[in-house]
Amino acid sequence: MATTTERPFTLSVPPAELELLQKKLELVRLPDELENAGWDYGAPLSDIRRLVARWRDGFDWHKSETEINKLPMFTRDIDVDGFGTLNIHYVHQKSAVKNAIPLLFVHGWPGHFLEVKNVLPHLTAISGDRPSFHVVAISLPGFGFSEAPKKSGFAGRQYANVFNKLMLSLGYEEYVYQGGDWGHMLGAHVVYHYGHKHLKAWHSNMPFYRRPTLFSNPLLTLEEHLPTQAARVAVEKLTHWRQKGIGYYTEHATKPQTIGYGLSDSPAGLLSWIYEKLVSWSDQYPWTDDEVLEWISIYWFSRAGPAASIRIYYEMTGGNTHDTFEGTARTTVPLGISYFPGELLLPPKSWMQMVGKVVFESEHDKGGHFAAYEQPEKLADDLRRMFGRGGPAFGVVHGHEGYD
Amino acid sequence: MSEQPFTLAIPDADLEYLRKKLDVVRLPDELDGAGWQYGAPLAHIQRLLAHWKDGFDWRKAEAEINKLAMFTRDVDVEGFGTLNIHYLHQKSEVKNAIPLLFVHGWPGHFLEVRKLLPILTAKSPDHPSFHVVAVSLPGFAFSEGPKKPGFEGRQYAEVLNKVMLALGYNEYVYQGGDWGHLLGAHVAHQYGHKHVKAWHSNMPCYRAPKLLSNPFLTLEPYYSAAARQRISKSAKYRVTGSGYFLEQATKPQTIGYSLADSPVGLLAWIYEKLVAWTDEYPWTDDEVLEWISVYWFSRDGPAASVRIYHALTGGSTHDSFAGAARSTIPLGVSYFPKEIIQLPKSWTQLLGNVVFESEHDKGGHFAATEQPEALAGDLRKMYGKGGPAHGVVPGRNGYD
Repeated sequence: MATTTERPFTLSVPPAELELLQKKLELVRLPDELENAGWDYGAPLSDIRRLVARWRDGFDWHKSETEINKLPMFTRDIDVDGFGTLNIHYVHQKSAVKNAIPLLFVHGWPGHFLEVKNVLPHLTAISGDRPSFHVVAISLPGFGFSEAPKKSGFAGRQYANVFNKLMLSLGYEEYVYQGGDWGHMLGAHVVYHYGHKHLKAWHSNMPFYRRPTLFSNPLLTLEEHLPTQAARVAVEKLTHWRQKGIGYYTEHATKPQTIGYGLSDSPAGLLSWIYEKLVSWSDQYPWTDDEVLEWISIYWFSRAGPAASIRIYYEMTGGNTHDTFEGTARTTVPLGISYFPGELLLPPKSWMQMVGKVVFESEHDKGGHFAAYEQPEKLADDLRRMFGRGGPAFGVVHGHEGYD
Repeated sequence: MSEQPFTLAIPDADLEYLRKKLDVVRLPDELDGAGWQYGAPLAHIQRLLAHWKDGFDWRKAEAEINKLAMFTRDVDVEGFGTLNIHYLHQKSEVKNAIPLLFVHGWPGHFLEVRKLLPILTAKSPDHPSFHVVAVSLPGFAFSEGPKKPGFEGRQYAEVLNKVMLALGYNEYVYQGGDWGHLLGAHVAHQYGHKHVKAWHSNMPCYRAPKLLSNPFLTLEPYYSAAARQRISKSAKYRVTGSGYFLEQATKPQTIGYSLADSPVGLLAWIYEKLVAWTDEYPWTDDEVLEWISVYWFSRDGPAASVRIYHALTGGSTHDSFAGAARSTIPLGVSYFPKEIIQLPKSWTQLLGNVVFESEHDKGGHFAATEQPEALAGDLRKMYGKGGPAHGVVPGRNGYD
């Protein structure tokens, strides 16, 4: 057996980086703002001003770092065909239940591995009638403390390769998957490449897919036109998304390097770029300033730098020339979906049948895009019902049904 | 306040502050072999940064800029109070020269008129002469920007027209590209015939024709390869080059933080367009840095300049022509091969009353900078003796 490259990971940002950040915070130049702008033009000045001041004078990164280091974190080398070795960072929290279900949790942008934090205790808990999970929360290549690929072309197949290899290297021949945002899109890729053989079932909290066409799915195309509340919400969100929501996406997918300079160099620039989404994409989540600053700091202090995290948009869309599901096809691997009302897009529920074999659906009345962070109990509960005894995906992982 | 001469004099403290920022720049890495594919290349930005720190002489650039005849004056805008507007006003020695308002766009500025000035104001019996006014749009360079929402096409047009009237040019002609073009449609709509007598654009785009109202124009791409070719260029811009537009039209404040706080962020954001949108124009580092510096040192800061995208598109809910009906004043257009948005030439008549057309084999979006002789040549042809817009301004036909 080959020696493992797994090493325990302790987050320890060097003093020089902390000093540089402090210098920059002291030199911040803020723009003005139109009167009564509110959120109409982006992140409001008063919020950013307050957050910058807190970051400069009150926020205690060492305290955050100490808390983060309480999580069982590791790194290991993963070989990716054509891209050499990437050193990948992840959280690996085992449950005390030996036969817990191995679950890979995958974040998106502007998310990170810490989004698993709130849901971790629920998933790994021991509870007689509810299944338990061994949880692996990976930092995507180029995010958090994972290395980034050095050349172009790192897309769906490569991400899937990294995920699968990680789980196999941890001894999980079979596992399940949970994701939102890129976690959802990449889920479609992982399930396409490794479904059934390794990936036995998956769950998403971002029900998104390409639009049905009259040619491919005639009945589904009609659904948006039905006089139902669901159809109305679907169309409203889609319209809003297309008109107001895709500025960042289009820049990311076409010129990630250009926007990358400002994100690397300006704490205020990075803060506002991400904070705008933390607020507008969540369902009135009561962010504290320190929560926000810790979140942004992960990006600021990330191993590959904030600019690297943007490239996923370019690589997964061919520079905005195709959608993110390119190279995948529907699989029959069991799929569960959780619908949260504050999510960016809420297409008609029937659309998810195009993505995979929907065996579980759950609808909530609170929560947004960052479901694991905002509504950890609800999300954990959905996973437990999906995978627990009597649930539609019970026992998908041989010998790891979630109970001892 | 009536007209005051304007001398650009960036305080030492501002230069010192920029220096401090440049000393703590943190750059990203780059993918191997990225080239221009992912945006502004790292090697270019590194080189420009090094020059900005150690070679570029802002005071020298400032002294050169101050050789231009610049002024400011207060302009009252209905509902917005008074804005102090900066402009260049270069008269020709030809008394009856044609008053011409030159309007820049983004990421442009008033200095784009620089190379045109000596050509347009030159005196000769063989071609017309112009008195040239180049306004800094509100929120750009050294003009004040509006402080509240709602400053849209009508208001920009009002400012532009009022500057010309205040200078004694009750009747004038207009030239613009980029926002200069889009605002031209507004100026022509609001003040056409009464004040603005003719206009010229080097980015002659408009909304696409509708099948029911213009069947032949709508169908042209189906049978014309030339029309299809032009449209495909616009499609390329839309798919791969419009991220900045969408961000600026929806979240100008958000991107504004990076532009205000990071010199390298601002540099990359603009430099990418200076290169991508020009026809292999041989930018020197000093040219680029002077250009970026005007944004960095602008009166209201760089973030103010991107609000025009939100203002003119209703936050990306409509196009920039909303509220500007087609005017019948004479329109001249110049087609440059590397312009970012190109539509079938037959569609230009939807934009206005086309009396002059010219096509070039070199030049891009920043025509006044890249091809000043060609652009000025077009204006001379359009307004000169025998030209289709000769004498549009009564008593000022460009010749003494």
